[in-house]
Amino acid sequence: MLTSHRSRTGTVLANTAGVVFAAVMAFPVYWVLNTAFKPATEVLSFTPSFWPEHPTLDNFASAIKAPYFLVDLRNGLIITAFAVAGALVVGFLAALAIARFQFYGRRALIMVILAVQLVPFLSLLIPLYLMLNRANLTNSLIGVSITYLVLILPYTVWTLRGFIAAIPRELDEAALVDGCNRWQTFYRIILPLTGPGLVATSIYGFIQAWNEFIIINTLNNPEKQNLMAWLLQNQTNRGTAWGPLMAGAIITALPVVVFFLIIQRNIAAGLTAGAVKG
Amino acid sequence: MLLALPTLVLLAGLLAYPLGRMLVLSFQDMELRHLFSGSTPPWAGLDNYTEILTDGEFWAVVRRTTIFTVVSVAVSVVLGLAVALLMLRVNRPVRLAMVISMLFVWAIPQLVSAQIFKWMVDADFGVVNHVIDQIPGVDFANHSWFADPTQGWIVITTLVVWAGVPFLAITLHAGLTQVPRDLLEAATVDGASGWQALRSITLPILKPLVVIVTTLSVIWNFGLFTQVWVVRDSKPEQDYQTLATYAFTQAFGRNNYSLGAAISVITVLLMLGVMAFYIRQMFRIGDVD
Repeated sequence: MLTSHRSRTGTVLANTAGVVFAAVMAFPVYWVLNTAFKPATEVLSFTPSFWPEHPTLDNFASAIKAPYFLVDLRNGLIITAFAVAGALVVGFLAALAIARFQFYGRRALIMVILAVQLVPFLSLLIPLYLMLNRANLTNSLIGVSITYLVLILPYTVWTLRGFIAAIPRELDEAALVDGCNRWQTFYRIILPLTGPGLVATSIYGFIQAWNEFIIINTLNNPEKQNLMAWLLQNQTNRGTAWGPLMAGAIITALPVVVFFLIIQRNIAAGLTAGAVKG
Repeated sequence: MLLALPTLVLLAGLLAYPLGRMLVLSFQDMELRHLFSGSTPPWAGLDNYTEILTDGEFWAVVRRTTIFTVVSVAVSVVLGLAVALLMLRVNRPVRLAMVISMLFVWAIPQLVSAQIFKWMVDADFGVVNHVIDQIPGVDFANHSWFADPTQGWIVITTLVVWAGVPFLAITLHAGLTQVPRDLLEAATVDGASGWQALRSITLPILKPLVVIVTTLSVIWNFGLFTQVWVVRDSKPEQDYQTLATYAFTQAFGRNNYSLGAAISVITVLLMLGVMAFYIRQMFRIGDVD
């Protein structure tokens, strides 16, 4: 806005408010780091200090050594990889169809894809549990992987559609005129140009699958959980062992935070402005 | 279209079919023994719905979830808008600090942020009690934030608002930067105050975006589950049940799958209007086809 017309005190006030806001927002993040590097005696102190006096990695070691940590870490990676890869392949085809072709039911498909992102997935948990139970896919990595695939599929289709739609149709046509067949056009034009979109979309799929815990917690036993569900179980199992719990939380959240920071722009766009131009 | 077929099959198999199954289940009477034996549960007609709709506890849950949604969305959107406007007024380094802190908050998984809050308001060793205790004449040592549901809900609402503001503020700020500068300048030249310019130019232009993000917030917050689940150690007391946790508890805690399914059906029906509105808006502003 027109800062030049505003008073100097106004600017000082605004900046102060901005700094205070940033500090308040960041405080819980700082506090989890502060806690995780403190030895147990400092964590469980009635006068918490705002800096670890004797910084230590003990909490991280104890989190990693906790039962099922490594198993559930591996499970989480397998499930997530399968779900993301599957959703990407299946979703790309649907995105291509929506972005490039007119067909009967296209509008309905778009509506379904938008709508299912809004239905709380949790409300489907009961029938899903019964279905997978009957198919003997509870307490297995396969059942959860397929569930997660479907969980991230709508968003995958929707974002990829945006990326494909952003490629000018003229490029496809030029390629066709120059003698490429449909497959070559796809392979040489659309696929390379959607590369960044594929990366961003798969990262977001990773975040969604990695963060889910209630479905897997309901379907599977402790040795078949992912890291997020492991974290929840650790909370209830350990009572007040806050140091290791916060360390575990940092380990679990770290890949998500790093990935999120990389693709943050795409996420906001997908939820709102993703609708701009089909 | 052939390319969309795999997606359709998967959506049908794991979304549409369970949705239909849930509907059927809500008219049956399924219990644990049916789960083990695999036999078809007896038909119950509208019994589940009658039971729920005449149950005072259910209506208390609906009321609680609604109040929480209204309050948390109102606070989040107003705060998000205020922060977005503030971001236009501050210096570059301050804006960068605001964006970075918000991105970190946004990135943190729900479960983790709920655990952090639970730790911060811990009765014995939590930093919140410690800080409040420093105020002269106030004794907050060993204060339990969840003994009184009102205080507990203040903590949960704070957590949800804190986690929700980054998305709102950053999205709305992006929208604000699209407001044409010359329009605002012209208004100022014509003698409009900053407040008037905001009310008659900025906000009307921003309105479609505000509507979309508000709708999304309503949908998300109405489905509140994770935060309650975590701060109440996976077994929320009656005063902390939301529609989502209530359905889950009925189904998996008490093995009353049909009752849980019926609650889920009612929840989805309650949200249907808002969802339809969101989709219509997406089509309208985006001109999807």
